[in-house]
Amino acid sequence: MTLEDFKQTIESLGTDPAHWPIDTREHCERLLKSNSEARLLLNEQSELDRLLQKMEAPAFLGLETRILNQDLPPRPQSLIDSIVDWLIPDQLGAKLWRPAIAACLPLVFGVLVGNFFSFGVTEQELALEYWDDELALLSFNDFSSDLDEAEL
Amino acid sequence: MTDEELMLAICEGDQSAYQAVVKEHFKRISHYAYRLLGNQKDTEDITQETFLKLWINAATWKPEKSKLTTWLHRITHNLCVDYLRKHSRVQTQDNFEENLVDSLEQASVRDGEFTQRDLDRDSEKIRILDSALNQLPENQRSAIMLCTVQNFSNKEAAVIMEVSVKALESIIARAKRSLKSIIRTMANSGDTDELLENQKV
Repeated sequence: MTLEDFKQTIESLGTDPAHWPIDTREHCERLLKSNSEARLLLNEQSELDRLLQKMEAPAFLGLETRILNQDLPPRPQSLIDSIVDWLIPDQLGAKLWRPAIAACLPLVFGVLVGNFFSFGVTEQELALEYWDDELALLSFNDFSSDLDEAEL
Repeated sequence: MTDEELMLAICEGDQSAYQAVVKEHFKRISHYAYRLLGNQKDTEDITQETFLKLWINAATWKPEKSKLTTWLHRITHNLCVDYLRKHSRVQTQDNFEENLVDSLEQASVRDGEFTQRDLDRDSEKIRILDSALNQLPENQRSAIMLCTVQNFSNKEAAVIMEVSVKALESIIARAKRSLKSIIRTMANSGDTDELLENQKV
């Protein structure tokens, strides 16, 4: 491992050997034992990390209290909650007509669907159902005169 | 209560659960926002908005995908980046390098006489580091804050910043090099000041 590789490792992964990849950790430790410049780099980097960790932000007086006490907007409801709330409202009048409307919805839906779709039942098939009736009606007619005319 | 239980309670509209989450994460979130935005007023607005988003979007948090703190930092990060873009305050690597020399000169003038003796003291070092950190581009500042200060793993930081782990490692390495270079330049300017002082004596 070169000094530049070591530098890259401690800059990108930090100075704690626990964060270094296992396969390079041994090389880094060997370099640290043999190279004083590597030790200097590590110390410099550790010092920088230590100072960065000591940096404080301003106290933001009152901000935490303001956030804790701020008026929170009503939480957005899920679709199911919204539907349930609509169906079972607080007002007395709405309590009656809304469930009634909801109960009518399947009926309206059925009428609409039935009006637009035949569900595979065609008019021709319907006519076939009456074939027996047709035969019965024909049996009441007198076709003898027609037969005589044909023989002549 | 665990994070999952708290978030479930928030989903059911429990304000005391919301307050518990705010108390637990307020310091880290406000600190992170402050480092990205660089001023108190904007930090207060963004921190407040972050927790408002927590209340409204609690149901969208997926505990199996990320920890609550990661999710909150991601919200803060996105709000800060949007804010900086809206106000055209995003610094890129290019204009960062162009502005660096000017910024260092201004910092030296503003901070008065840096001496090597001063630099040895932690508070002075932190003051210089603070100034140097503010000169970095937004993504480098963010990476440094998440990995070094907030102690997120590189993987978690990459999730928050919505970049790959490799990209994050490259950003953080560049950031640390820039920081060291700024500090070294400032320290050198301190040496010069001390030398000038000695010459006067």
